[in-house]
Amino acid sequence: MEIKNIFILLLIFYLLSIFQTSFLVHFDIKGIVPNLIVIAVFVLNILEGPEKETGIFAALVAGFLWDIFSEKFIGYHILILTLFSISIKVILRNYVRVQITKKA
Amino acid sequence: MKPPFLKRKNFILAIFIVLIILVSNKYQKEVKNLFYSASLPIQNFFWDLGKKTSDFFEPILKIKKLKKENEDLSIKNLELLSELSSLRELKKENEDLRKALDLGLEKEFKLMMVKAISKDISRDLIEINKGSKDGIKKDFPVITSQKVLVGNVAEVYENFSKVMLISDKESSLDGKISGKDISGLVEGEGSFKVVFKLVPHEKDLSKDDTLITSVLGGVFPEGLLIGKIQEVKKTDIDPFQTAEISPFFNLEDTDTLFVITEF
Repeated sequence: MEIKNIFILLLIFYLLSIFQTSFLVHFDIKGIVPNLIVIAVFVLNILEGPEKETGIFAALVAGFLWDIFSEKFIGYHILILTLFSISIKVILRNYVRVQITKKA
Repeated sequence: MKPPFLKRKNFILAIFIVLIILVSNKYQKEVKNLFYSASLPIQNFFWDLGKKTSDFFEPILKIKKLKKENEDLSIKNLELLSELSSLRELKKENEDLRKALDLGLEKEFKLMMVKAISKDISRDLIEINKGSKDGIKKDFPVITSQKVLVGNVAEVYENFSKVMLISDKESSLDGKISGKDISGLVEGEGSFKVVFKLVPHEKDLSKDDTLITSVLGGVFPEGLLIGKIQEVKKTDIDPFQTAEISPFFNLEDTDTLFVITEF
């Protein structure tokens, strides 16, 4: 996991967090707004497959930024999203035989 | 073979990350304040952009509803104009009596103007651009310019504060129906939903009754607008009735808010 990739993830999720909390809140459907951070972590982990670890780092970064922009203590969403990401990896590795992404 | 994410180096990295988290929590307020300060221009930009975009599309999506709302408001406006003229007479009489009895005139609140810049993802909490260095304290009420209650200050940082909206799940306050002797508890249910609870069965709650803050509880000044009754629910077995409230505050009206610093 390169340092450069970590910074890119930090920037993407930072902008996503601000977009989520400041822009998207004006477009609720009966008070509900989709959580782009969870969706992004889920999609990243599904697409990269069980062997790569970028998704887990993305979950750590996303969780940290979610904690910053929420009233929870730092670590709350980090733990939830990291476990969520690891669960996806375990399920993909052990239970999913269909190849979701094409190997290069 | 072990999956890649269970390699030893990742375990060491995980321990390092846990240590960072523990240190961050010790200086949680300072870390959050640093991020909020750095993000303020971007948050302001996205908040204003979101509001403008939403304002642009709203008439198209809600045209039918707007037409009905306009008709209802025109009728209500006429009723209120008539009520206003009789209230003006009462106000004058009240002032004359106070002067005669040498009582002070009622003071308005001390207000501080603030702006909303973001909303929490999972709760009905908004962030405002003033904090402890501006004199904001916990539990200060927050209202709009039309004296509509928005919520109260839940958490204070140096440059920012978090306001718990009345629709938040942890929000509860005392309310009463304007013009009727009916008091109860106003509770938030999340997703901008508010209910009026613990109203005795025999009290006559009607649709469109206006709910205001009461002086009980001491957190909010009396008479701030909360919302109007949407639907009343009562059953024979329950000693209390509950009503769904349509709050007067709207996230789109949070350009300028006011924190009541003294009342």
